[in-house]
Amino acid sequence: MSVGANPPCILLADGNEQSREMFGTFFAGRGWAYDVVPDSSAMAGALERGTYDIIIADVELSGHDSARVLRDILEKHPSQAIIAVSPNATYEDALKMFRSGATDLLARPVDFSWLERVVQQIVFSRRNDERERATYRFIKSECAEMCFSCADLAQLSSISLPLVGRLAQSGMLSHTDALKIRLAVQEAVLNGLEHGNLELDSQWKEEIGADGSDRFSSVRNQRLADPKYAERHVYVNLAFGDGCLEIAVRDEGKGFLNAHAVQSNGKLDSLACSGRGLALMSSAVDEVRFDKNGSVVTMIKRLHERKSTEDYGS
Amino acid sequence: MEFPTKVIGDKAYIRITSDLDTETAGEALRSAFNECYEQGKRTIILDLSGAQIINSYGIGKVLMCYKRLKAENGVLMVKPLDGFVKETFELLMLDKLLPIDDSNGQ
Repeated sequence: MSVGANPPCILLADGNEQSREMFGTFFAGRGWAYDVVPDSSAMAGALERGTYDIIIADVELSGHDSARVLRDILEKHPSQAIIAVSPNATYEDALKMFRSGATDLLARPVDFSWLERVVQQIVFSRRNDERERATYRFIKSECAEMCFSCADLAQLSSISLPLVGRLAQSGMLSHTDALKIRLAVQEAVLNGLEHGNLELDSQWKEEIGADGSDRFSSVRNQRLADPKYAERHVYVNLAFGDGCLEIAVRDEGKGFLNAHAVQSNGKLDSLACSGRGLALMSSAVDEVRFDKNGSVVTMIKRLHERKSTEDYGS
Repeated sequence: MEFPTKVIGDKAYIRITSDLDTETAGEALRSAFNECYEQGKRTIILDLSGAQIINSYGIGKVLMCYKRLKAENGVLMVKPLDGFVKETFELLMLDKLLPIDDSNGQ
């Protein structure tokens, strides 16, 4: 994996002189740019003066608790990549460090060939992210279409939406809104799959057999094995432009109209076997439209103003 | 996938250890619920702290559990919720339906 023409830039924070020399020899041998500091206050000073692709920090720096070392860095530099170096390789210590924000963990004695691979992976990934953010300063529109057969869709636990992820990275969408949109699309796709293409009736969820399973699940499994239903498709179209994100989910069924969700007073029926997906969709976006009897669902989300160029890089 | 269960007295606890947004997770909940139900437990408490996301599928399974218990004068409760799961419960008014169990039973 190549990190391109610019070598990684590393900040090493290690209280042990011998260890600092060992790391320094390794970095110099690879042609990497690096600075070395002996304690946490020198580390803080280095971070004030410059930026680094990765910090490699001894978690016992200055006698502090490992979580504190990581927290101190991430408080001021929340997106900083940190490889924590620890004398302990226990599962519990590793979990503690990842939960404190470490990007990766290096146990002593150091395996330098492993370190080299990890550094290259982290730098490659972060520079890719930076290129995407840079692209999204200027991009005016983008479209994507995904197509799934029912049989394949039923095997997916969730659908990745790279366009939505990029909009979140660029600041045009908050990360919470991106998560809600991901769920809304999942709901629309599930509707398209189950109520559209597989023609399943929500009421069947209420019909529970002696074994505790419901008719809905049984018929779902039968129809996923039937080519008449299984070979139908669900299409997901995403389009960003003019300050909006528009997502259309289309199935090849007869469409659905959900009559169960709303009570006569217009309120959502919490106990209804259906309709919650529609509520989740509506809460995630600014507008939801149903066309062709529900076989096309269009969701529209207005986006934030693009971040100013000074904000990029964080 | 399996969700661990625990019985303390007349109450059963089910700890949800993944997002409740797939058929697999839904089936794991159903299976854990059936295990408690078949042991005669009619007060069942769900700990959703292990789930960051719950979608309509997962909610449907939770409500299936609620209805089965209610049919026998039982009760489905949840441990205190937070984050996106809490927000989803409030949006769908499930927080009004399912009492919170904030005892230290589990």
